[in-house]
Amino acid sequence: MQRPSRPMKRRRVYVRRKVCRFCADKNLVMDYKDADLLRHFITEHGKILPRRITGTCAKHQRKLTTAIKNARIMALIPFTSDHALERRPPRR
Amino acid sequence: MKLRHYETLYLLHPDLNDEERQERADKLQKIITDDGGQIVKVDPWPLRKLAYRVQKQTQGWYVCMEYAAPASTIQELTRNMRLDESLMKFVTIKKDDTFDPAVLERAKQEAEAKAAQEAAEAESGETAEESADTANETADAGQDEGKE
Ligand SMILES: [Zn+2]
Repeated sequence: MQRPSRPMKRRRVYVRRKVCRFCADKNLVMDYKDADLLRHFITEHGKILPRRITGTCAKHQRKLTTAIKNARIMALIPFTSDHALERRPPRR
Repeated sequence: MKLRHYETLYLLHPDLNDEERQERADKLQKIITDDGGQIVKVDPWPLRKLAYRVQKQTQGWYVCMEYAAPASTIQELTRNMRLDESLMKFVTIKKDDTFDPAVLERAKQEAEAKAAQEAAEAESGETAEESADTANETADAGQDEGKE
């Protein structure tokens, strides 16, 4: 049986930043409790975005991954979209 | 004993009432202070939706507790949090290897400022608005002069 053809793949367009957001804005604190901030650095499936896409510097990317992992542990952001309560149902 | 600067965020079962949550908070704080530690700040969040189901629950009470404590306290604190089944999740992070007592003073000032601001907002902001208007007018006048 053939699966029905799906519409064009939806792909979120990420804004390429030249500079690290945490270096550019000294007031921006890296905080695992700030889910809204961390959401900028994960894909819609919950994976951590590589820094070549977000523009984050190496130092801040290291801190960011720790923050994201702590936020996942505390159920502030999802591990994967499959278990998430807010996002769409699991993809198959 | 050397104090370090820590922060613990814990998640309580959504069915706990105010009293039950306060009980947990008091107990954890007592462990810290009994060990010679100091509480910097306790911040209970409003009931919040979880990113994924935990113990079949979709929401829960988060509490963020910032404190100074010797390293040995963390073990005792962790043991206690593990024993409590209504405490669904927790994470402890070390903010600093040393504790600067100025942090206590700053937290106290912040709490006072917040309380004062809330009290002021509850009353009326009319006086403040009036003086702000006057200040704006003066600033505008200054700008006009500069242009000419
Ligand atoms: Zn950076």
